[in-house]
Amino acid sequence: MPRLNPGAWADSAVDFLQRHLSWLFDAVSAVVTGLYDGIHAVLSAPAPLLLAGLLAVAAWWLRGLLAAVLAFAGLALVDSVGLWGDAMATLSLVLVATLATLVIAVPIGIQAARSPRLGAALRPVLDFMQTMPAMVYLIPGVVFFGIGVVPGIIATIVFALPPGVRMTELGIRQVDPELVEAADAFGTTPRKTLLRVQLPLALPTVMAGVNQVIMLGLSMVVIAGMVGGGGLGGAVYKAIGNVDIGLGFEAGLSIVILAMYLDRMTAALGRQVSPTGRRTLARARSAATGAARLWQHRPQPAYAVTAATVLALLAGGLHTFGGAGTGTAAAAGPGKGRTLTIGYIPWDEGIASTYLWKELLERRGFRVEARQLELGALFTGLAGGRVDFQTDAWLPVTQASYWEKYGNRIDDLGAWYGPTSVELTVPSYMKDVRSLADLKGKGDRFKGRIIGIEPSAGAMGILKERVLKEYGLEGEYEVVDGSTPGMLAELQRAQAKQEPVVVTLWSPHWAYASYDLRKLEDPRKAWGRGDGIHTLARKGFAEDEPEVAAWLRSFKLDEKQLTGLEAKIQAGGKGKEQEAVRAWLAEHPEVAEAATTTA
Amino acid sequence: MSTLQAEHVYKVFGRRPGAAVRALRDGASREELRADGVTAAVIDASFRVEPGEIFVIMGLSGSGKSTLLRMLNGLLEPTEGRILFDGRDLTALSRRELRHVRSTKISMVFQHFALFPHRSVLENAAYGLEVQGVDRADRERRAAEALELCGLSGWQDSWPDELSGGMQQRVGLARALATDADLLLMDESFSALDPLIRRDMQDQLLELQKTLGKTIVFITHDLNEAMRLGDGIAVMRDGRIVQQGTAEDILTRPADDYVASFVQDVDRSRVLTADAVMTGPDTGAGCSCGCPTVTADTPLADLCAVSARVPHPVAVTGTDGVVVGTVAQDRLVAFIGDEHRAPVRCEEAAA
Repeated sequence: MPRLNPGAWADSAVDFLQRHLSWLFDAVSAVVTGLYDGIHAVLSAPAPLLLAGLLAVAAWWLRGLLAAVLAFAGLALVDSVGLWGDAMATLSLVLVATLATLVIAVPIGIQAARSPRLGAALRPVLDFMQTMPAMVYLIPGVVFFGIGVVPGIIATIVFALPPGVRMTELGIRQVDPELVEAADAFGTTPRKTLLRVQLPLALPTVMAGVNQVIMLGLSMVVIAGMVGGGGLGGAVYKAIGNVDIGLGFEAGLSIVILAMYLDRMTAALGRQVSPTGRRTLARARSAATGAARLWQHRPQPAYAVTAATVLALLAGGLHTFGGAGTGTAAAAGPGKGRTLTIGYIPWDEGIASTYLWKELLERRGFRVEARQLELGALFTGLAGGRVDFQTDAWLPVTQASYWEKYGNRIDDLGAWYGPTSVELTVPSYMKDVRSLADLKGKGDRFKGRIIGIEPSAGAMGILKERVLKEYGLEGEYEVVDGSTPGMLAELQRAQAKQEPVVVTLWSPHWAYASYDLRKLEDPRKAWGRGDGIHTLARKGFAEDEPEVAAWLRSFKLDEKQLTGLEAKIQAGGKGKEQEAVRAWLAEHPEVAEAATTTA
Repeated sequence: MSTLQAEHVYKVFGRRPGAAVRALRDGASREELRADGVTAAVIDASFRVEPGEIFVIMGLSGSGKSTLLRMLNGLLEPTEGRILFDGRDLTALSRRELRHVRSTKISMVFQHFALFPHRSVLENAAYGLEVQGVDRADRERRAAEALELCGLSGWQDSWPDELSGGMQQRVGLARALATDADLLLMDESFSALDPLIRRDMQDQLLELQKTLGKTIVFITHDLNEAMRLGDGIAVMRDGRIVQQGTAEDILTRPADDYVASFVQDVDRSRVLTADAVMTGPDTGAGCSCGCPTVTADTPLADLCAVSARVPHPVAVTGTDGVVVGTVAQDRLVAFIGDEHRAPVRCEEAAA
């Protein structure tokens, strides 16, 4: 069997598209971004509780009083955990994706219902779209559209399109053929048959499709967060990255609240817009008695509109609408309010250096956006010019494969820390394991497992391809792919039970300060020499911002400074990175002084 | 008023229908074609329906009667042959012209009513007018009139699923009548109803037809219904019309064993009328005795009741009271029993 290479074809197809159709992707990107910004501006304009009130009135009108009370309580909870802004970003993303999906899916579904041949041709395409893991096309999405909300929205559309098409097709096919024939027998044109008979009767099914689309959109939110989609997905991704169970739960809960609100509302809307559904509803309500009657009470549309208007006017009167969104401070210093984008992976030295620079640059009058990204997305973002710089590239060894692929489209501004090391590490209670060579023959005790981190990390490649071979550990040990948080959680669990464990870790890392660990010696130098932590910038950044580039080039931290900063951020807790940086800078004024003084 | 005419109509489903029609003309059987995956639904059907007539097409399921009906308003296009309505060949019309004919000249009533569940009774009845583009006030007035004609006044604002089956079909009938079409196509329209309701609806249809004078093509699998309603009846079997004629023709002179076996189940006493049994007026019945008489269209069931009380053959009178014939009791019994041989001696009858 010859080795076919569909992967290489896909790769070159992506390259080709990027080279020749970038105008198209830019146009799509502009439209989607415009839509998103528009909806987001509307949603984030009113004060949180006011908007929660408006949404509750909508629930009151669509479902009844009980739904309104629960909706308000849920949304108020989102606000109280401080995730309202994220929730609105997520809501905007889902709304834009849903809108776009429906605009595409409904006409396709209608055509598919009319032409069995098209329906049959579409089926495998839809299956492909629905089952292809989202991450697989998310990264090409970043290549085409750059990091940010757009690839997240596009991925959501691709993922949510199939149920939209299928439910529309199904709904129309389900309409009793005798009814269609009746319409035909009275001389109705096909178009009017669609509008007067098929679509009204298919509406409940189509609305169930809309509901599905929204739910799938929400489930994609977290994945979109990995490519800079922000919102609740970003919060979840960040929480996972920091093993922050509390934030993860709160963000997850907020997603659930949004999902339930949207689910119940679209279901109710489905009944509301379909004539048959409206009648069933009216019948059920007139049958209700007592308390059920109160809870199911729904206002006349006029009252609902009035209530919404009053709330809106109130909002206007209280000046609770935000300004036009221009920054309040800024504009002072050499930055003059220009915006810089820093990308980072939620590794500790990445967070520390990124927030350090965010603070330093803001002090100099720049507006800085720090975007948490997945490693692949970060490199493609830099190569595509969508990220200005990042401060956490491990070169030349660990991330060599990324440098090989994207190096010619990225500028290296030099290392600010080094040397680093990557190693296998055991708890120090594993007294008889001191070097990599000692692992041999002890596979049983470690259950044959070496706990790895993200498979995309350069260290994992070196470990699997060089280290295991060098020490003859192949076959005896299996490297478990996972994530940094997963690895740390496993380490913590094993520590608590005093169980044998061997993990992939790197220095500098706060784990060495928190746990009693031993780095395994590498007498054969299989890990290779240490890396420097480099700052990488997009091509052209040094010309656009020569002063910033110069600051970055001369930036240096030593181990004590870095671990101190990391520890400060760890202690500060979630969402307070920048405060921690400020506090640390107050203790180390010389760093700020040195970093942003042009030589 | 307009005549409806079908001329050598074929409908073949499957690949290369033209070739299949040629094969059928050359005497190929339906089974031979089926082996090739071709279904001959209607084979060489010809008939003529005069204005104001109820023409019934009768046959079991799969006999091709519904297919034939759908060719009459162009829902299906004949593979071969012509449908002439109002002097125009429907098969030659464009889709657009066909739609116009369907919306103004030919309407249809369906087996399972086919009411639009998302429209009220009134909106359903007004549907055909809505398609024609009649303005709202006008179409609601006309739809309300049609509903009243069908005995549904007061139900306008109800919804189809709130009505009984019989009432739903009245809505279907009102919808068909509201457009003022000359030709009504009724596809097993009463088959889904209870027997009693079905009878009511048949009576009402006959009543309506008498007052409105519509031309009606009615499909059924029920010979009793066919006999009750039909001025003319066509019996279909395996895609072909095997016999055409009046109810009496079919009952008394079945064309083949198939029709005969069908006819067995018919309540002859209700279908046959006095004129089918009567003999010349000169065979013995006095008419001066003042005994009750019957008319030519009195069903045999009613004739029996009269005959039971009259000691001599019952006189059949014409519209002007003149005696046109008489019916003897033994002849009456023979007809109802479908036994035309003369009585024999006891020994022979026992044998």
